[in-house]
Amino acid sequence: MQVIKSILLVDDETLFHLVFDDACNILDISLNLETVSSSDAAENMFKKFQLNPGDKPECVFVDLNIIGSSFDGIELVRRINYQYGNGVVIGIISSSSDSIEINKAKNAGAQFWIVKSDAIEPRLEQFKSDYLNYKNRTGNFKVYK
Amino acid sequence: MIKFSKEDKQQLIVLANDNNIFIEGPLLKMIDPDDDSVFKSYLEAATESDQSNRRKRLEITKQIQTQNNELQKAAESNHSLMIELKDAVQKAEDAKTVAVNDLDLVQKKTQFELIGNIVNIALFVIVGVGLITTLLYVIAIFTGSAETTLIGSTWSNLFGILLTNSFSIIGTIMGVKYASEKSEGK
Repeated sequence: MQVIKSILLVDDETLFHLVFDDACNILDISLNLETVSSSDAAENMFKKFQLNPGDKPECVFVDLNIIGSSFDGIELVRRINYQYGNGVVIGIISSSSDSIEINKAKNAGAQFWIVKSDAIEPRLEQFKSDYLNYKNRTGNFKVYK
Repeated sequence: MIKFSKEDKQQLIVLANDNNIFIEGPLLKMIDPDDDSVFKSYLEAATESDQSNRRKRLEITKQIQTQNNELQKAAESNHSLMIELKDAVQKAEDAKTVAVNDLDLVQKKTQFELIGNIVNIALFVIVGVGLITTLLYVIAIFTGSAETTLIGSTWSNLFGILLTNSFSIIGTIMGVKYASEKSEGK
């Protein structure tokens, strides 16, 4: 499987940034990982990407509840999909597995939902094997738990 | 992909052999070994070392994350316990206030009842004395006693005192009754 060139992680929990970075490296998922701690910062990045689409990450992982942000992860997914021209593989990574929220995310245009837990690596590995389908827009919405 | 010169590769291999220092991070994925088997082995060793370090860090980070979550849960639990405790203290204070008010009411009621009893007894005593004196006066009149004048003036004085005091006593009784009814209403 092809390595994802760049991933953007939007999550308020900085410790999870380290976990995700190490897990992605160990599993050989990505070459470059960028992290931001608020949905506002992520939105600002996507505003800039409208001017330079080449800088856009290939894949975006968004936390559901991002403390210290003006809006939640689902709203960020919706804005990236409908306001900032999409063009990325995007999904939610959250400790929640609430079916109502999952449906909301799906309706907002999320392609996947990864449940955060101590055992994140097997889920990321599964995601890695499905990644091409997401990239080619042939994969259905999937929950990894 | 990045390609290194033979000299650079050699320097990296020497650095790894002498000091166990390797290239780390995503850069490793971008280096082309260029059919150099020795450098390829170096890159494999570097990748292994990098992954081993990352695994260790990942485990430690996860442990810290778990501890943080536990601490956060404990803090939330403490917070809710504190709220419950404050509520309990507030309820206890309210109950204490009610009990103190009730006690005060009971004390007042007891005082009023005591005063009422004293007034009633006093009234009975006065009425009793009045009746006895009147009875003595009537007996003295009918028996033609020489003490009629003395008993008559005594009866007259006593009746005057009784009339004066009875208004005072009736007033006191009415006051006590009014205060008792008001307390019961509360």
